[in-house]
Amino acid sequence: MNLHAIGISHNTAALEIRERMWLSDDEIRAVLPRLKAAKHFDECVLVSTCNRTELYGLSAGEGPDDGTMTRLLIEAKGTPAAVGPAHFTGARAGRAVQHLFRVAAGIDSMVIGDIQILGQIKDAFHLARESGTMGPVLNRLMQATLHVGKRVRTETSICEGAVSVSYAAVELASKIYADLSRKSVLLVGAGETGELTLRHLQGKGIGGVAIANRTREKAEALAASFGGTAVDFDRIAEALPAADILITSVAGPAYVVGPDEVHRVMRVRSNNPLFIIDIGVPRNVHPGVGKIDNVFLYDVDALSSIVDRNLEKRKGEIPKVTRIIREELAAFFRWQNGLEVGPTIQEFRQQVEAIRAEEVRRNVNRFRAEDRELLDLVTRRIVNKILHRPTTALKQEAESGGHGEDLLRRVNALRELFGLGQNGEAPREE
Amino acid sequence: MTLQPVVNALCVVLPFLYAAVTAAYGLSFFGDYPRLARAKTPALIVVVAVHLAYLVLRSAAFDHPPITSVFEIMSVLAASIAVGYAYIELRTRASATGFFILLLAFAFQTVSSLFIRDRFDIPAYLHSTVLGFHVSAALLGYTAISLSAAYGFLYLMLYHEIKSSRIGQIYTRLPNLETLEMMSHRAEVFGFVALGVAIVIGVLWLPRVFDRFSYWDPKLVTTVVIWSLYALALGAKRRLGWQGRRTMIITLVAFGCVFLSMTVINLYLSGFHSFH
Repeated sequence: MNLHAIGISHNTAALEIRERMWLSDDEIRAVLPRLKAAKHFDECVLVSTCNRTELYGLSAGEGPDDGTMTRLLIEAKGTPAAVGPAHFTGARAGRAVQHLFRVAAGIDSMVIGDIQILGQIKDAFHLARESGTMGPVLNRLMQATLHVGKRVRTETSICEGAVSVSYAAVELASKIYADLSRKSVLLVGAGETGELTLRHLQGKGIGGVAIANRTREKAEALAASFGGTAVDFDRIAEALPAADILITSVAGPAYVVGPDEVHRVMRVRSNNPLFIIDIGVPRNVHPGVGKIDNVFLYDVDALSSIVDRNLEKRKGEIPKVTRIIREELAAFFRWQNGLEVGPTIQEFRQQVEAIRAEEVRRNVNRFRAEDRELLDLVTRRIVNKILHRPTTALKQEAESGGHGEDLLRRVNALRELFGLGQNGEAPREE
Repeated sequence: MTLQPVVNALCVVLPFLYAAVTAAYGLSFFGDYPRLARAKTPALIVVVAVHLAYLVLRSAAFDHPPITSVFEIMSVLAASIAVGYAYIELRTRASATGFFILLLAFAFQTVSSLFIRDRFDIPAYLHSTVLGFHVSAALLGYTAISLSAAYGFLYLMLYHEIKSSRIGQIYTRLPNLETLEMMSHRAEVFGFVALGVAIVIGVLWLPRVFDRFSYWDPKLVTTVVIWSLYALALGAKRRLGWQGRRTMIITLVAFGCVFLSMTVINLYLSGFHSFH
């Protein structure tokens, strides 16, 4: 048994190439059984997201090479233009498993620690099961992969901390306020990041939304989509005391909000905390505002530095993640090696024993009756001594959880040299 | 008195136990020590159990509850803070504030262990039930304002981190500002009421028991000053709508005075009050 992986990802291809290789669930459901029917693989699974499309296949022998795998995958998508073998990388045996574990752990993601991918991998395995291309090995691989993801999430902090400006702002809001559903937000201007921040806040259940924009119609349209109210741009000061969070993203050189105004607002608000997110460049809020008690002012630079720090922290967690992957690889290989080596050794012993027994049977009459028992004993001993070294070496290597490829080569060599599994007896899998 | 050596040994050991468990909470707050993080709560339970055993043995050894001197009361206060915190942690499964609260228990127990004296000759007035109410109310009050101060301190640390955009471990581990402020405020209100009750009982009862009673007793004066500070903080919050940083600073200043009044002032007095 050998596992192969081939795939296109953000490491090897630009988005416009990757999106051409993206496969829908229905497409995957159609492709997987075809690959199995064509006897390329005994078991296979296809993972397809916006950042990667990867095919994992398991075959009894050497299986298709990287070139063939690439061709199969490209054909599966109907040979889209501009997609070529250069956009794909492959891995076999241990490396293929390691790659899948790295993907599941989020260290192969575009943004380190983004383990949204774990859910997508889970879905991919379910699709393979629906399509009838899951078998005992991929089933075990799925469990091991999900286990890696779970361990990484609980034992490391690689997924912690916001890694986008808009999300960093929302995280800050949740560190200031206990219950966002009782808070209101005022968005001034209608920039993309402002809108995204508002969307995240809404995802966290923000209570009230008010939107002010120079173009009243735009404010109204946006307010309607958020279920909020539109505010006249020149009446921001009146709307401000009711807001607990103010997001500004207005283009223009003048400050939209200054310290005097905020002082007045804070008096009206009984000094209740006010969180200001200034996404405008140049800045929309006078820096002096940040000095006022209970006012928390964050501009794009401050938010970006939080994001950078979080990314650095996530990078610092990679050694821990790598250690978890190493441990889980060893556990998986121990299981897989047992699957390969156990039956092979058993078959090997049976075959040699069969030869011995046959030769003893044929020649037993040449010996005196009293020597026959001894003959059986001596031949048995010779066979056992010859078999002892290779079988224990193989077993030990299998139990050490070592990398699959070398071991697999040795097992295959043994099977080939002794013609195991060729006399109508298929090797047992378990 | 065979219990006495055990009591004395525990008295020496307790500050070290608190130091160890507080350090465990501190290390697992600021660093990444998974084993320590798992072991800290059971360790705290052991320390609390040892402390309660110490208080029981002490009562037995000296034939009176450990409330006859300020340093005995401090040990009860430390135990009360530790028990209160352990209860909160076991209920909420949130251990982020542990280090800061246990630091207080450690401080109170250390001062207690350093200055506590063995007394057998307890004046009759210390067996009064009214005294029991007075001391219980004062103890509840002090525990509550200690917790209030701890939460206030955490509030200010988090406030500073968010305000200065230098976000670190405090930001990651602590609950949000509003929650910290609410916890501090609730504890403060509770402490204020309990201390008020203690003062009222004291002022009504003490003159009847002591001929030497004076309204200028330093303990009474400082307690009333502290109580007024809390009244001011709570009043400013209610009447002037003060919020956040300013009220937390008053809370901490008031608590600083509490700690000073309990330690420095009492060091120069023979008993808890100057008149006994």
